[in-house]
Amino acid sequence: MSTATVQEHVETSASGKAGIEMMTITVRIRRYNPEVDAAPHWVDYQVTADPTARILDSLHKIKWEQDGSLTFRRSCAHGVCGSDAMRINGKNRLACKALVKDLNPTKPITVEPIQGLPVLKDLVVDMEPFFQAYRDVKPFLIAHGNEPTRERIQSQKDRDRFDDTTKCILCAACTTSCPVFWADGQYFGPAAIVNAHRFIFDSRDDGANERLEILNDREGVWRCRTTFNCTEACPRGIQITQAIAEVKRALITRRVI
Amino acid sequence: MTDNTENTENAVGTKSTEPVERHSYDVVVIGAGGAGLRAAIEARHAGKRVAVISKSLFGKAHTVMAEGGAAAAMGNVNPKDNWQVHFRDTMRGGKFLNHFRMAELHAKEAPDRIWELETWGALFDRTKEGKISQRNFGGHEYPRLAHVGDRTGLELIRTLQQRVVALQQEDKASTGDYEANLRVFAETTIVRLLKDASGRIAGAVGYYRETGQFVVFEAPAVIMATGGIGRSYTVTSNSWEYTGDGHALALLAGAALVNMEFVQFHPTGMVWPPSVKGILVTESVRGDGGVLRNSEGKRFMFDYVPDVFRKQYAETEEEADRWYDDQENNRRPPELLPRDEVARSINSEVKAGRGTPNGGVFLDVSTRLPAEEIRRRLPSMYHQFKELADVDITAQPMEVGPTCHYVMGGIEVDPDTQGTVVPGLYAAGECSGGMHGSNRLGGNSLSDLLVFGRRAGLHAAEYIDGLGTAGKPAVAAADVDAALEEALAPLANADGENPYTLHHELQVTMNTLVGIIRKPEEVSEALTKLEEFKPRRTKVGAAGGRRFNPGWHVALDLRNMLIVSECVAKAALEREESRGGHTRDDHPAMSSKWRQINLICSLNEDGSGIDLKHQPIPTIRPDLLGLFEVSELQKYFTDEELTVLGDSAEPVAEAKPAGEAKPAAEPEVKSEPATESKAEAKSEPEAKPEAKTEPAPIPGQSNGEKAADTAADKVAEKSTEKSATAEAEEQTAQAEAEAQTEDAETAAEEK
Repeated sequence: MSTATVQEHVETSASGKAGIEMMTITVRIRRYNPEVDAAPHWVDYQVTADPTARILDSLHKIKWEQDGSLTFRRSCAHGVCGSDAMRINGKNRLACKALVKDLNPTKPITVEPIQGLPVLKDLVVDMEPFFQAYRDVKPFLIAHGNEPTRERIQSQKDRDRFDDTTKCILCAACTTSCPVFWADGQYFGPAAIVNAHRFIFDSRDDGANERLEILNDREGVWRCRTTFNCTEACPRGIQITQAIAEVKRALITRRVI
Repeated sequence: MTDNTENTENAVGTKSTEPVERHSYDVVVIGAGGAGLRAAIEARHAGKRVAVISKSLFGKAHTVMAEGGAAAAMGNVNPKDNWQVHFRDTMRGGKFLNHFRMAELHAKEAPDRIWELETWGALFDRTKEGKISQRNFGGHEYPRLAHVGDRTGLELIRTLQQRVVALQQEDKASTGDYEANLRVFAETTIVRLLKDASGRIAGAVGYYRETGQFVVFEAPAVIMATGGIGRSYTVTSNSWEYTGDGHALALLAGAALVNMEFVQFHPTGMVWPPSVKGILVTESVRGDGGVLRNSEGKRFMFDYVPDVFRKQYAETEEEADRWYDDQENNRRPPELLPRDEVARSINSEVKAGRGTPNGGVFLDVSTRLPAEEIRRRLPSMYHQFKELADVDITAQPMEVGPTCHYVMGGIEVDPDTQGTVVPGLYAAGECSGGMHGSNRLGGNSLSDLLVFGRRAGLHAAEYIDGLGTAGKPAVAAADVDAALEEALAPLANADGENPYTLHHELQVTMNTLVGIIRKPEEVSEALTKLEEFKPRRTKVGAAGGRRFNPGWHVALDLRNMLIVSECVAKAALEREESRGGHTRDDHPAMSSKWRQINLICSLNEDGSGIDLKHQPIPTIRPDLLGLFEVSELQKYFTDEELTVLGDSAEPVAEAKPAGEAKPAAEPEVKSEPATESKAEAKSEPEAKPEAKTEPAPIPGQSNGEKAADTAADKVAEKSTEKSATAEAEEQTAQAEAEAQTEDAETAAEEK
C-alpha cells in the first residue's frame, strides 16, 4: 500500500464529491387515489435533486414537501427488504437503488406501479396474488424421516447448489416484468418458480416431486417464453431464467441435480 | 374453525360512528420481525389462535437487514465453546449491566434455536464436515456466529415466514382454512393496547394502512415485538418501522422501560451521498483489512489507543498489517478497538477539522486488498457503494461516520417469561430490555430474538391456559372510543402543521443533543424542546383521506417517537457515568455504583410525561459470577458485592493495595440504590421464579474502579507513547474494563 495512492484517492474523492451540483428534475408520477379519482393519471413534480441520490429520495422529498398523501412502499431503503419495486422509466427497479443520474434526468422521469397487479393507491399494488403464487409452490422444507437432534449435515457444495435462488427478496420486480404474467395473472410467475427452485435443489428437501408436479401445471413453468425480462429486472442479480430452465429440465429428466 | 370477524359493524359497543372490524384471538403478536414470528410460531405450536400484526408487508421487517449472523455456542468450529463462554462474553460486552438471567438463558438456548431453524430449512454456510459454520466476531471468544454469507437476517426471516406458511397449510388441510389458527395482518398499525377493568391485557386497537379502517383485536395476551427506535434520529441505520411503537404502547399501557439511555451508535455508517447517510458499513470491512484515515491521509486510530489497550493493539502500521496474516505474533490494528472508542475517535477527528468533505472519515480497503478479493469478501458492500454512492470501493475510499443503530434499553420483562408488569403483556427482541446491558455484542441480536421470541410465545400460551374458560378479559368500549378519537384527530385537522416538519425537528434534536456524546446542558435543552413538541404534535394535520395516507401514519407515529425520545433523554441526563452506549462528556468513567442501578421509565400520573426512578439491578447468582476471574469482576463491582462469592472467590490480594494507590476519578452517585429500591421498585412481573432482584444492594466504596485505574497505570508504564488525548486518559478505568472484552464488536454486522 502506498501513501501516494491513498492521497490520490482522497483528492479524487474530495474534488469529485464536493463539486456535485444539485439539479432540478421532473418526476412524473402515476397517481391514483380510488377515493377521489376515476382513473390513474400522471402528475409532474419539480424537485431539486442530487444526481447521485436515488429516486426514492425524490419521492420522499415530494411526499414531505409537496404532497403528504403520495403513497409508496419502502422499508430498509437499500435493496434488502424488497418493498419499493416500481416501474421507473419503463423498467422495473427498486426505487432505493435507482440513481437519478442513471435515469436521464434532463427529461421527466416516469414512476409508475409495477404492472400486472391491481393498483391500490398511487405506487402501491395489491401483492396478494403474488404472495399466493409464492405460497402455492410450498416454500418450506419438506423432509421425511426423523428430525435430527442438531443440524442436518449438508456439504458446502450442496449448499452452494441453490445459493442463487435463496437471494430472492420477494420484491416482485421479476414477476411484474413478465409479459406472460401480464397477459395471464394465473401464471405462477418467475418469483414463485425461483422459490420452488430454492427447495427443489436443496439436498435436505424431500418435496421436489410435489413441487415439480405443481409447476408442471398449465400455469407452471411451461408458460415461460424465456424472454429474460425477469433476469434483467432482478435487483439481486439472480439468474432467474436459468433457474426456470433448470426446473424445466428437472421435469423432463425427473432428476434433480 | 372460521374467522369470527364481524365486518364493518360496530360490534364492540363503542359510541363512535366509526365502523370497526373486530377479531378475537388467543394471542396477538405486534411485530412480524424475527422475534414476533418466532413468538407466533411458538404460541401456535402450543395450540393457540394467533394473529401477527405487521406494519409493513409480511417478510419485509427490519430483521432482513442483519448481515453478520446469529451467535450460538454450538462449538461446531471450536469445540471449546460452550454457553458459559458465551455468557461471559455477553456480560462483558454489556459491561455487566445485563440482566444475568437473560444472558444465561440466551447463551444456553441459542444453539437449540439455531438447530431448530436449520431443521425448518434455513440455509447456512457449512463447515468441511457439513455442519453449520461459525464465524469469528467482535467480543466473541470463539467462532460463534451461524451465518449465510452476508444475508443472515434475510434468511432468518424468510425461514420463519416459510414456517408460518407451512403451518397455515397444515391448518388448511385439517380445518379447510389457511388462517384458522395463524393469521398475518400485513400493513396494519396498532395505536393502543386495551386492558380490562382489573388491569389485564384485553386486546389492541389499530388500523389497516390500506383502507384506514379501524380494527379491534380482542385477546387475553399481547406480545410486543416491534423492534427499535432509530427513526427518532437523523442519522440511523434503522428502517422506517423503527418508531418505538412497542416501547410507547407498552409504556402507555402501564409497563416500564429499563435503561433507555443506552443507544448503540455504530462507528461506520455511510455519510455520502446525503440521501443514504446512516446506512451501515459492515465492520467486516475493517476486519478484512480496511483502515480509517483522516483528510490528511493519516491512519489516525493509532493516536486514539487508550493506554490500557496498548498491550493488545499494534503501535505501528507495519505490525498492524502483519496481524491479518499472523494473529499469534502480532497485535490487532487499532481500527478494531471497541465500537464506542472508534465512534468517539471519528467524532474527534471531524470536530478537529480533519474530516472528509462530507463530514466523515475515510474507510479505505482499496489500497489494502486486490480488487477481486474485495469483491469476493465484501460483495454487499461493493454493491452498496457502487449502486448507492457511485463509489468503487476497490478503487476509492469510502466516507463513513457514526450512525444510530440499536437500542439496548426496552420494555422491562421477566427474564424467564418475557412478561411485563401488565398481566398478559409480553415483549421480546429489540423492544424488550435487559438482555444486552449497556452494549450489545454483534451477533447477539438474531439469537436474542429467537430465544426470547420463543419464550414469549410459550409463556403467553401458558398464561392463557391459566386463565381458565371464564376469565377472559373484556375490552372496554370507552377505551376503543378514546383510541379512535385520538387516531382520527390529525385527519380532522387538515390545516394543521406538516407532521414531517415536526418529525424532522425531533430527529435533529435527538441527533445533535442526545447523540453519541451527551452533555447535561444539551440533554436538558433537548428535554425543553421535547416539551415544546408535545402540544405541536397534537395539532399536526394530515390531508389526503384515509387510504394509505402516509402523512396520517407519521402523525400517529410521532406520539410514540416523542415518548421514547423523552425516555432516552431523561435517562441520559440521570446516569452520571459513561458505560457502553451511554457516554457522558462530564462523567467519562464507568462507576461501579451506577452499575447497581437500572433506570426505570414509566408514564406519569396524568399521562403527560415520563417518570424516572432508580431500581437496583438484580444480583447476579454466585455460580454465574464464579465464571469470571475476581480480578475482572473488580473492574465492575464493589468489593462488598463480591463478598457474596465467599471464600472460594475472595477478592484477590494484589488488587487491594491497587485500589488504594490512586483516588479514582469517580463520578458521584446521586442516590443510594438501596433506599430507592425498596420504596420505588416496581413489583416485577408475576409468575417469575427469577424475579429475584431486590438483592439488597450494598452501597459501598467502589474499589473496583480504583483497581482498574491502577492496573491501567501498570499497562501504561509499558507503553512508550503517551495517550494522544486527555479524553482517552480519563477513560482509562473504563477502557481497562473493556480490555477484557477485547474487540467487543469488531467484525461484521450484528443485528
